[in-house]
Amino acid sequence: MDKIEHLRKEIAQREAELADLRARLAAEEKLSCAESEKKLDDEEWKWPLEEHDYQRYSRQMIVPNFGLQGQLHVKHAKVLLVGAGGLGCPAAAYLAGAGVGTLGLVDGDAVEVSNLHRQVAHATSRVGMMKVDSAVAYLKGLNPTITYNAHATHLTPQNAEEIVSQYDLVLDCTDHPTSRYLISDICVLLSKPLVSASAFQTSGQLIVLNNPPGKGPCYRCVFPKPPPPESVVGCGEGGIIGPVVGTMGVLQALEAIKLIVKGDHLKNGLINGDVEEVKQVGLLLFSAMGDVPFRTVRMRGKRKECFACSGDGTALTLNELKTSMDYVQFCGVNQPVKLLQPEERISVAEYERISQEHRSHLLLDVREKEHFGVCNIKGSINVPISRFTAHRGQGSDLTDLIPADVAPDSPIYIVCRVGNDSQIAAKKLKDLGVDRNGERFVGDILGGLKAWKETVDPSLPFI
Amino acid sequence: MTSSAPKPQRGHFNLLYFASAGSFTGKDQESLPAPVPIGKLFSELESRYPGIQAKILDSCLVTVNLDYVDIPTQGEEGAVIQEGDEVAIIPPVSSG
Repeated sequence: MDKIEHLRKEIAQREAELADLRARLAAEEKLSCAESEKKLDDEEWKWPLEEHDYQRYSRQMIVPNFGLQGQLHVKHAKVLLVGAGGLGCPAAAYLAGAGVGTLGLVDGDAVEVSNLHRQVAHATSRVGMMKVDSAVAYLKGLNPTITYNAHATHLTPQNAEEIVSQYDLVLDCTDHPTSRYLISDICVLLSKPLVSASAFQTSGQLIVLNNPPGKGPCYRCVFPKPPPPESVVGCGEGGIIGPVVGTMGVLQALEAIKLIVKGDHLKNGLINGDVEEVKQVGLLLFSAMGDVPFRTVRMRGKRKECFACSGDGTALTLNELKTSMDYVQFCGVNQPVKLLQPEERISVAEYERISQEHRSHLLLDVREKEHFGVCNIKGSINVPISRFTAHRGQGSDLTDLIPADVAPDSPIYIVCRVGNDSQIAAKKLKDLGVDRNGERFVGDILGGLKAWKETVDPSLPFI
Repeated sequence: MTSSAPKPQRGHFNLLYFASAGSFTGKDQESLPAPVPIGKLFSELESRYPGIQAKILDSCLVTVNLDYVDIPTQGEEGAVIQEGDEVAIIPPVSSG
């Protein structure tokens, strides 16, 4: 113990010394900077970018068609990233590195340890800090010469106009259909081009929307109908490979830089006449595990009847967005499954008793095999839910669902993560006649592995 | 996802399943008989994979040979998929 205490004290002392050194260095740097600026002032700096800009950005400025003009566009650009997670971290890093003059970040979440495998701007030492503050801390280390705005809030219909109107280009780096429709709508209404990317498991999508503003299709033109809420699975539950979402975020930054260098973000829908042609819009699909990892499909232009961007009298207005749009309702709320009656469900405590008494039974765990592989209840057998949903009706072979060596009168208990899929599986078995009209018990465990962790085995490493 | 997947046999086309369409069907791709109108393809898929219409097809976009195509409204047959075509079912990915 003494040794630990001693080490702690020593670390604290060294840290204090370091902080002192850093403060002295900053003061010296400021002094020398002021002196050199004074010297330069005396000589009158005659170049359009500042001296340190030429040092920092020369490698990209000499790339064909980028040039000084490109860098000036980048320097004066104001870019908003909505979401400082798996997409936002790499996108922000490259945009900050490239010298985007003003970078805004919107996110209402705090950093968690489970973010760090992919959200590369955060750090173990900043777990618990707001993501926007953690990201800005990282970005300032990368490039302290540009302006950062941290908006530590979720984007809502109420604050969207006030925040988005401060920028001239938006990157959608969020993780849910509700925010995707909101961001698209506000970009249409405020005439901002939108670079939209997404990633899940080993797949990604990327598309540039509302470009030029008022001319290119919006998110609703591409996906007019949101996916049903029960099919929307987040990265927390379905998983994500770091470099997959990283790839999409980096590509997003690239699309933003392409747009800015060409000056497209300044056109703002104010072009006279129809001279401005809308280029072919492509949706990039990334399938990390596929033989062809990248494909681009050609999209149509705007949808004539689009609710947001059709431009006719019936289209959405800023006031409607603020006062009457309910994006949660539009995308639907995931209702808990209610397929089984109370007598068809047992509690985790009841199941614990059954297993301790060594009564003959079958416990099926219907989570995906990767979840099962991480942790499971002793004696359970893994049959993923997809095998139940794909199973062809009555009269067909059941051995892919129930092991052949199970006694035909053994009760069957089904468990999943939180108690939704287990009901679907139990219902399917009953529909297939496995319960023999109630002679054999077929039911599920209420609350699933989550409840098991809470009341029986707190050591379960993950659910 | 495989365009370097084997060419479809005579009288067939390749159907690619992206993102959640792949996890729903348990496949990246398969070969199905052509010609077939898109409307008919959707009802065929629903009978092969019960529930796919509501869970995936209603909110996805469809391409034929990398070009976006309109999904026919109820009762219409829509564009006809030809032998050798590559058709993709592309549901939105929302996470990030």
